[in-house]
Amino acid sequence: MRIGVFVCHCGSNIAGTVNCAEVAELAKSFPDVVYADDPMYTCAEPGQAAIEAAVREHGLDGVVVASCSPRMHETTFRRTVERAGLNRYMFEMANIREHVSWIGKDREANTNKAAELVEMAVAKLRRDRPLTAKTFDVVKRVLIVGGGVAGIQAALDCAEGGVPVVLVERESTIGGKMAKLDKTFPTVDCSACILGPKMVDVAQHPGITLYACSEIEEVSGYVGNFSVKIRRRATYVDWKKCTGCGMCGEKCPSKKTPDAFNEFTGATTAINIPFPQAIPKKAVINARHCRQLTKGKCGVCAKVCPSGAVDYAMRDNFVTEEVGCIIAATGYDLMDWTIYREYGGGAYPDVITALQYERLLSASGPTGGRIARPSDGREPQTVVFIQCVGSRDNSVGRPHCSGFCCMYTAKQAILTKDHLPLSHSYVFYMDIRAPGKMYDEFSRRAVEEYGAEYIRGRVSAVYPDGLGQYVVMGADTLLGEPVEIKADMVVLAVGIEAAKGASALAEKLCISYDNCGFFMESHVKLKPVETTTAGVFLAGVCQGAKDIPTSVAQGSAAAAKALGLFARDKLENDPQTAQVDIRRCVGCGKCVRCCPFGAVAETEIRGEKKAQIIETVCQGCGLCASTCPQGAVQLAHSTDNQILAEVNALCR
Amino acid sequence: MPVMKGKELRIVGFLCNWCSYGGADTAGVARAEQPTDLRIVRVPCSGRVDSLFIVKALLNGADGVLVSGCHPRDCHYSAGNFYARRRLEVLKRFLPVLGIDDARFEYTWVSASEGQRWRQVVASFTSRIHALGKAPRLGEDAQALLKAVGTAALPPPPLRTLGTGKNAPLDSLKEAIKEKLPELECVIGWRQGYDAAHTTPLFIRKTEDIDKLVWGPLNVANPAVYLPRFKGGKTGIVVKGCDARSVVELLQENLIAREDVTIFAMPCEGTLDMARVNEKLGRYAVVDGVVRDEAGVVITVDGKEHRFDMAEYAQNKCRGCVNPAAVLADVAVGGAPEIPADAPVPLELGLLDAMSLEERRAFWSSRMKRCLRCYACRNACPMCVCRDHCVSDTRDPHWMTQEADVAQKLFFQTIHALHLAGRCTGCGECQRACPVGIPILALRQQTARAVEELFSGYRPGLDPAAVPPLLGYETEEQNIHEREWK
Repeated sequence: MRIGVFVCHCGSNIAGTVNCAEVAELAKSFPDVVYADDPMYTCAEPGQAAIEAAVREHGLDGVVVASCSPRMHETTFRRTVERAGLNRYMFEMANIREHVSWIGKDREANTNKAAELVEMAVAKLRRDRPLTAKTFDVVKRVLIVGGGVAGIQAALDCAEGGVPVVLVERESTIGGKMAKLDKTFPTVDCSACILGPKMVDVAQHPGITLYACSEIEEVSGYVGNFSVKIRRRATYVDWKKCTGCGMCGEKCPSKKTPDAFNEFTGATTAINIPFPQAIPKKAVINARHCRQLTKGKCGVCAKVCPSGAVDYAMRDNFVTEEVGCIIAATGYDLMDWTIYREYGGGAYPDVITALQYERLLSASGPTGGRIARPSDGREPQTVVFIQCVGSRDNSVGRPHCSGFCCMYTAKQAILTKDHLPLSHSYVFYMDIRAPGKMYDEFSRRAVEEYGAEYIRGRVSAVYPDGLGQYVVMGADTLLGEPVEIKADMVVLAVGIEAAKGASALAEKLCISYDNCGFFMESHVKLKPVETTTAGVFLAGVCQGAKDIPTSVAQGSAAAAKALGLFARDKLENDPQTAQVDIRRCVGCGKCVRCCPFGAVAETEIRGEKKAQIIETVCQGCGLCASTCPQGAVQLAHSTDNQILAEVNALCR
Repeated sequence: MPVMKGKELRIVGFLCNWCSYGGADTAGVARAEQPTDLRIVRVPCSGRVDSLFIVKALLNGADGVLVSGCHPRDCHYSAGNFYARRRLEVLKRFLPVLGIDDARFEYTWVSASEGQRWRQVVASFTSRIHALGKAPRLGEDAQALLKAVGTAALPPPPLRTLGTGKNAPLDSLKEAIKEKLPELECVIGWRQGYDAAHTTPLFIRKTEDIDKLVWGPLNVANPAVYLPRFKGGKTGIVVKGCDARSVVELLQENLIAREDVTIFAMPCEGTLDMARVNEKLGRYAVVDGVVRDEAGVVITVDGKEHRFDMAEYAQNKCRGCVNPAAVLADVAVGGAPEIPADAPVPLELGLLDAMSLEERRAFWSSRMKRCLRCYACRNACPMCVCRDHCVSDTRDPHWMTQEADVAQKLFFQTIHALHLAGRCTGCGECQRACPVGIPILALRQQTARAVEELFSGYRPGLDPAAVPPLLGYETEEQNIHEREWK
């Protein structure tokens, strides 16, 4: 074999602490190395051209580049060697930047370590074999999980782009958190008025199949060919017949059902349509509170329904959809703020979350848009807003900023003044984070035009004064003195976490998530929409805190990724898959048992049981290879012999 | 390329591509300064890391080995690290029996975002290895310590009274076989060997063969080793309690089909340690007679009587046996004794337990020197199912070289022991077959002990439907806990 080694200076990034020329010189003594050089920037256009030239001039059949992390430039250089006529897998990288030059200053030790890493790469390359990708068909349909504003945007963009969409929503209506908002910052326009038409578009678009009251049960397959089993929860109403007239809700005698849509600020009926603009506008029975379903006596809704849609015997059912890619847009939930005992921990009726306050402000809310204290229905004169309750607080394991609370608090202060001109609002804040377009101007208006009093500092305690008001004790850290305010209502800007069940979904999708359940993107800066699982994209708050415009933008971005994927008729698999040497296989089935993807099938060859890899399903983890005692299963490009070669280069 | 003399030790890292390799990159991007000793091998998943890579490195001069993967539940391949966690924990508990300090091997979880954690892991592990110093090579200190080992411990008293099977219902067994034989291709049992003092396997194909069947403490071989060769045909097998566990294990691994096997079980009263019997008999020309009584066997050779009391000459495994009756049988002849006690630590393993790491290295160096690489241990093992495809005999994969040094020989024993982890029923055939008497069973016993401790008392060969612990996982392991990095 004829191997060329290129030891990159990376300007002074590597050459600053590694003697690259010496590493290149040493490399010439490694087996099969016939050419070595130390270019200034290997990844730059002249650097890549030099590799191509060297391959041709010296008849190289393998290339080692010692430079940055393969996670950075492996693909770049694979393309380079391919242009030079080599198979792209006849290439190895030695990471002498992130793993050497950037983490140590001892030039001698670094140079020695760099040379060893090159030696390992050469040892592995000597056992590399050309690999060729296989192509497979793509199912040009997309599944979107979550019908909030990000999911809606992604669904509409995909459908407009000609790709059929399956939209799965857990609740009985799409709209997500945005549908619960009264107004939106920084324009203070009505949330329902801007979201409503989009929701209607979803319902009317022929390319969108909507499953509400549904959840993802099981995901199998791989990019281009996912098979997703969807659980359609029993609604006890046949939606094909339901016209959304609302008669059932009017007559339902179970009128004290907690109203989840209104954030439990009011009660509703056991059978209901969550709000007038709901999509689909269909009734759902809350089984826990329905008298017919709990006690077996009632049946009022079935009697009054003009279309006979009520079906108490309904059970969950399942549908399976075949799709080519999946967009997760599952949004967020509020963290459990009742751990804040100092704010009453949920015991004081007039200490509420901002989302509950939003429902009180809303004309479609339980009070019809009148701000009323949940305890006695009185209109508050003094409202205290406390920010960062469960955000930027390491003491409760929530180090992240929830992003949009500063802005909605300003909006709620403005709306409070609008609704109750004689009221006075106080805002306890840590910092005002208003980096968006028109955002800082907006939060200043709350102070300057609407007279909201912003106090920089934390609140240490809230307690009832026994006379119907609440004492809010805090500190003004700018003045350096304690503050005590008598408030009629306290509104908490509760921090967000990923939606309930997000981690379970992540595990089904084989994607990572962080401590608060937010899904991990593939690269923080350069791949914010992709995940490490090919064909799974992210949109909206499920990836991290973001406001409506950013969620919409990411919804469109995810749709662009899906449309880009489907622009090709065939996809190529990664040829770094497991392979079975059927001569060595004894058919014990240990690999079949372990494979996390069901990519190993049992087959019969001349009457003997053997393992067989389904190449398009295999993800290349290599678990089977380390499980097989005979070494009959080998993972291409990470074979036992290749890893052994690296180990042997180090230990002998 | 040598490590930096005096400055560095040899530390090998296996990092998964998705989390930990990214974490190491993140640390680099953050310019998080780290010791330079570590050399990283990039693998797709921690589940790809065969424990044998680690032993290979440690036997060939690595001073420390670190494996790092995605945090549990975060695996890019959803479950690779769950499998890795089990296998690597078994390895960690196995290494000391070879005389390798388990502190030289560690596994951990670092995500792609945890650059600082990675720095801490590297710094902490490197300083740990520097505190341990350079790893001693096998054989270096052998001579000095040889006197410390080799003194045979006294065998523990057996859990039950061992006997010679004199009153075993052999005739009923023969009747049962006669009845079933027409449906079977063959029934495997024992017959008299080259003389009356030894037995060899018997393959009963015709009715007249049945009378050749013998029973008693000389039936040491495990007939289950032949079963997979009859795969596809209807086969009968006569088993002792220990042999039955091997049959169960073969069933569990789909190497034989339940409907194809007819198990004839006899309650076993113990078997003789033929190595010691042969040693006492010495060289002889003729066996004049073999007479059994309740407590022992009298073998007369060249006119001289030798008495072998079961209490003294039984195999060590029989002393600690808690399954004298077959756990699975189609035809069970005779009653089964109840054994209330738990199995004690096997003798061979107890011997090693009592040694220091240094002494164990010396022990294996001196014993493995005698290994002929004849692979009788492998061929006698009923669970060595690779047969002609053993990784020791091939260059693809090229795990072993042809060199006859102690490291290679011990490495083969390690391959065998780790391949048997969670599968070895402790039948002891490997050790019995060893022509030079190396107590290699201890290595298998150590893996069995680790598996039993880690996976709620799991013992192989008791339940054909059980999921072998190393082919499964729990998302929250009861007995495997993440070690803190300080």
